[in-house]
Parts: sequence; C-alpha cells; structure tokens
Amino acid sequence: MESNSNQVHTLSVTDLCKSFAGLKAVDGVSFSLQTGEVFGLIGPNGSGKTTLINLITGLLPATSGTVHVDETKTTGKPPHRVSRAGIARTFQTVRLFRELTVLENVEVAAVSMGFPRREAVSTAHDLLVEMGIEGYETRLAGEIPFGYQRKLEIARALAMKPKFLLLDEPAAGLNEEESDLLLEQLRTIPLSKHVGVLIVEHDMRLMMNLCDRLHVLNYGKTIAHGTPAEVRTDPRVVSAYLGSAG
Amino acid sequence: MSLLQSPLSRMAKHSTAWILAAVLVVGAFVLNMAASGVIVDIYTYFCINLMLVLGLQIFMGNSGILNWTYVGFVGIGAYASSILSTSPAVKEMAVANMYPSLVELQTPIIPALIIGGLVAAAVAAAIAWPLMRLSNAVGVITLFATLIVIHVLMTQWDNVTNGPRTFFGVEYYTTIFIAAGAAAVTLVAAYYFRESSLGLRVRASRDDRFAAMACGVSVVGVRYYTFILSSFVAGLGGGIWAHYITSFSPKSFYMAEAFVLITMLVIGGAGSISGATIGAVIVTVMRESLRQIEGFLNNSGVIDFQVYGLTELTVAILMIIILIWRPEGIVGGQELRLPFVGSKHRSAESADEASS
Ligand SMILES: Nc1ncnc2c1ncn2[C@@H]1O[C@H](COP(=O)(O)OP(=O)(O)OP(=O)(O)O)[C@@H](O)[C@H]1O
Ligand SMILES: [Mg+2]
Repeated sequence: MESNSNQVHTLSVTDLCKSFAGLKAVDGVSFSLQTGEVFGLIGPNGSGKTTLINLITGLLPATSGTVHVDETKTTGKPPHRVSRAGIARTFQTVRLFRELTVLENVEVAAVSMGFPRREAVSTAHDLLVEMGIEGYETRLAGEIPFGYQRKLEIARALAMKPKFLLLDEPAAGLNEEESDLLLEQLRTIPLSKHVGVLIVEHDMRLMMNLCDRLHVLNYGKTIAHGTPAEVRTDPRVVSAYLGSAG
Repeated sequence: MSLLQSPLSRMAKHSTAWILAAVLVVGAFVLNMAASGVIVDIYTYFCINLMLVLGLQIFMGNSGILNWTYVGFVGIGAYASSILSTSPAVKEMAVANMYPSLVELQTPIIPALIIGGLVAAAVAAAIAWPLMRLSNAVGVITLFATLIVIHVLMTQWDNVTNGPRTFFGVEYYTTIFIAAGAAAVTLVAAYYFRESSLGLRVRASRDDRFAAMACGVSVVGVRYYTFILSSFVAGLGGGIWAHYITSFSPKSFYMAEAFVLITMLVIGGAGSISGATIGAVIVTVMRESLRQIEGFLNNSGVIDFQVYGLTELTVAILMIIILIWRPEGIVGGQELRLPFVGSKHRSAESADEASS
C-alpha cells in the first residue's frame, strides 16, 4: 500500500442524507476529518450517529450527498471497496467473527486488505499485544471476556491499516474503569497509527476530554460543531443533548 | 512468532489432516489384504462418499450456506467423465440418441475424470454469481431450485445423458486404493483450503457478513470462488463414483443423495474437516448395519411383513436429534487436535507471546 506515513488524508462528508420511509435519520450532515485528529460525534439516542457511520462505510446507501477520502469518492461503492479506500470501523454491538480465533479475526482483516499472509500474522500479533489481548490468540473470539471483545474489534479494524477509524460507542457495556482505560488507549492511536479517529460516545465528560473537535447531531441534523469548549456552552446542545442525557 | 512458524509447530498445527489422510490410506491397504470383498466394497464406497462430503464441506462448511445444488455437480462430473472415458462402441449401444460428436469423443480415464471436475466447475462459474449474492433462506431455496433445474436437464437431455434411463457400460476403474487416495488428497486439500487466505475470508463472512464487508472482504466474491472449487471437487468425485458404480441415472444425483451427504456433514460438524470425516464414518456405519438388519428381518421371516426405509428413517432421526442436541455437530466448528500436540503447542505459543 502507498501509505506515506506523514501524508495527511482527509475524509470529507458533504451534505449526507438518509431517509427511512420518510424518517430523515441523517439530514444534510457535512464535516471533514483529517488523519491525526480525534473527532467526536455526539447526540441523543436515535439522532442518527450509527446511521451516519453506516453511510460513510457504505453499509447503507445514502439517499443523497457524498463521502470522499481525499479525492476518491466512496459513496456508491460496495462496503468492501470503501474499506479498501482506507475506512475501518467497529460496531455499536460487537460484531466479531465468533467462530474464528482471536488471531484469525485480526489476521483476516489484514489479509483482505491485500497484505501477504506472513505480514498479516505478524501485524495481528503486534496489534493483540498493543491492545493487551495477547495470550488469547488461539481462543475463539466469541468466548473471550466482553471487554476483550471490544478491544479485539479495534485491533481488527487497525489491522486494515486504515486512514480513518470509526468507533461506534467502543466503551458501551464496559464498566467505568475499563472504559477509562480503553479511552486512554484510544488517545494514542491517532498519532501512533496515523489515522483520523471518529468516535461516538455518550459520556460527555470523556468526550470533552478526548476529542479535538465535536460534532453534535439531533434528529439527524447538525446542531453544533467546534472545539469541546465551544460546544459545551452552546445553548442548543445544552437543551438537546445534555438536558436529555443527564 | 518464531515458534509459530517453526516447522515442528506447523506440523503439529496441521497434524489432524495428515493423520486422517494417512489412516485412510493405511486402512485401504490393511482391508485389501485382510478383509472380505464386502468390507472392501463398503470401505471403497465410504471413501468416495467422504471425498464428496469434504467437497461439500469446502463451500457449505466455510460459507455457512446450505448447498443443495452440490449433488447436481456430482452428476455433471459423473456424466461428463463417463461420456469421455467410455468407448464409442459402448456409447452407441448404451445411449441410443447420443450426439454423434459425443459418441466419437474419447479420452483416457484420468483426463476424463479431471475434465469432469472442470466441467462442473465451469457450470458453477457460469451460474453461481447471482446465487452468491443471496443469503439465508432465499439463498437456500434458490440453490434447491437450481438442483431441480440440473435434474430436469439430466432427465430431459437424452442426447447427452440417456435421459431418465440408465447410463451403463462405464469402465470400472475406482479401486479401494484410488478411492482412498482421492479421499486422502481431498481431505488434506479441504483442510488447507480452510486455513488458506480465501478460506479464512469465507469463514469470516459466514460468522458475520456485515463485519466481513467492513473488513474489506468481498463477500460475494469469496463465496463465488469457494463455490467453484467445491463444485470442482463434486465433479471430480462424481467421476470417481461413476467409475466405481459403472451404471447410473439422474435420480442418483437428486434429493435423496443430497440429503445423505448433507446429513454426513451436519452430524459431524460442517465447520471442520474432522467433523465431516466423523459424520461420514457414523452415517456409513449406521447405513451398512441397518441395511444388514433390514435384510435379515425381511429374509428370516421373524416378522410377517417387509421392512423398508429403516435406514433412511434412522439416519433422518439421528440428524434431528443431533441438530437439537448439538446444532454445530458432534465435533463442532473447530478441528479436533491430538491432545498431546494440541494443548502443549497452544500454551507454549501463548507463553512465547507473553514473554516477547
Ligand atoms: N434500518 C433502519 N430502518 C429504519 N429506521 C432506522 C434504521 N436504522 C436506524 N433507523 C432509525 O433512524 C434513526 C437514527 O438511528 P441511529 O441508530 O442512527 O441513531 P443513534 O444516534 O446511533 O442512536 P443510539 O445512540 O441509540 O445508538 C432512529 O430513529 C432509528 O430508529
Ligand atoms: Mg447508535
């Protein structure tokens, strides 16, 4: 792959819309995100965060609007081609290959990106060590503790050597201690892996702390965006999100 | 890492396939020397069935899609190889309406078998792409409908197949050694396919289609190539079967046979080579013993009516029981490993990783 590790890549989302039988789940959302950045996507339940990730990754077709990775348009491509353009993700409810071993889960992601088998195996080993799941390589993914499953999903996404990593509530279901630790780990990823991270989380305190920029959705529409400090004081955010989530 | 790639650990990791393959071949030699003709026949037939089940496992076990069409490709291979290997004189007699060009066509037996496999693979390649886009219930129904189409073609295209009538006069070629050798090679091939990069991606798509797409797996693509490979084995196995049985008709490649192969695979566990093998052993042993019992009951006059279908009934009930009790089959999704190589190897590997 042509990854020049110092090159900056841009993920641009332009006027993206998705309707489900009349319900506008995502309604004219635009933003852009660069490698090295942590971009937080927040909003109340049902505000369209997961749908937005599904649109960006091509798992759902957009009603209108476009997504580009640098100059490459990814909207309209099948999901596996979108992944090859450099977009990796995790799922809100963990979706592992449960009958594959932990190692194979990570390996297959590297293999399907076209890395040779040997390289895929060694990448997988390194990532499992980095995420703190070494020692579980030959266990079935469906059988390891839930906290490890969450981390395994992130390791699998990183094995694709993506330009952008989209994390849909990576700490959901973890206890407070585990989720603090995980988010600490995530903090280092943008620079060490040279990826842009888009993260969805409900815990405002953590998100304020972790993200360089925040983007707030409500009923599919952008209601605020900016630095955490700017967003925190935005009256619409306070009423729509903080009010209802508190 | 270093340990993972050492030849010793690689052998340990793959020992299951090699040991099973060796047992098959040694079994053929031992039985050929020591056993009666009936046992040699049963073993030969078992090996052919095992080869067919392993071919079925390649697609069905790794993709998780129930493949009713498989036995149709067995038929395509059986007809294609038999047409090629049988002499014009015999064909003229056996298949009255055969196209003259086909009557003239003859190749030695080995090329005939291989071409049989290739024809099945080519048919699979021509029809499978749209089928692979479907999933779950719709996909299963469509594959089932495809079997019906293949069956109708076999029964109607009498210039090629002799229609519903028996195609006879095929040369006997498949000895116990050929059958055991073919089964052993298929076993190792199916094992390595499962571990290959394509096999890995298909298995990922089986476990979670959406996650696989998100990881860059072209789900339709990997299923498609796996289906073609599986159909190639079906065709090759069909040819080997045809040159054992020497006469057959389209009904040999229909639901009853499909059901037997699927039962063998599902009972043992479709996800692994060991499962497919154990399933084939269990079903063969059951069928043969029940057949003996049925014969005994019907001939001895112990009961005053005739018993039919005892075999099918029992195999079907066994399938129901296993699927309720253990849906993943007796072996489950993972390969059996010899305890002494398996567990030590595994813990050593983890220790190696932890300390590095
Ligand atoms: N496949 C679908 N078909 C119909 N409606 C859908 C579908 N997926 C999502 N929706 C609807 O779209 C809206 C946005 O859902 P989405 O899952 O994107 O919200 P979210 O912000 O991720 O919520 P949460 O915080 O609960 O995860 C909701 O009203 C949801 O019911
Ligand atoms: Mg969501």
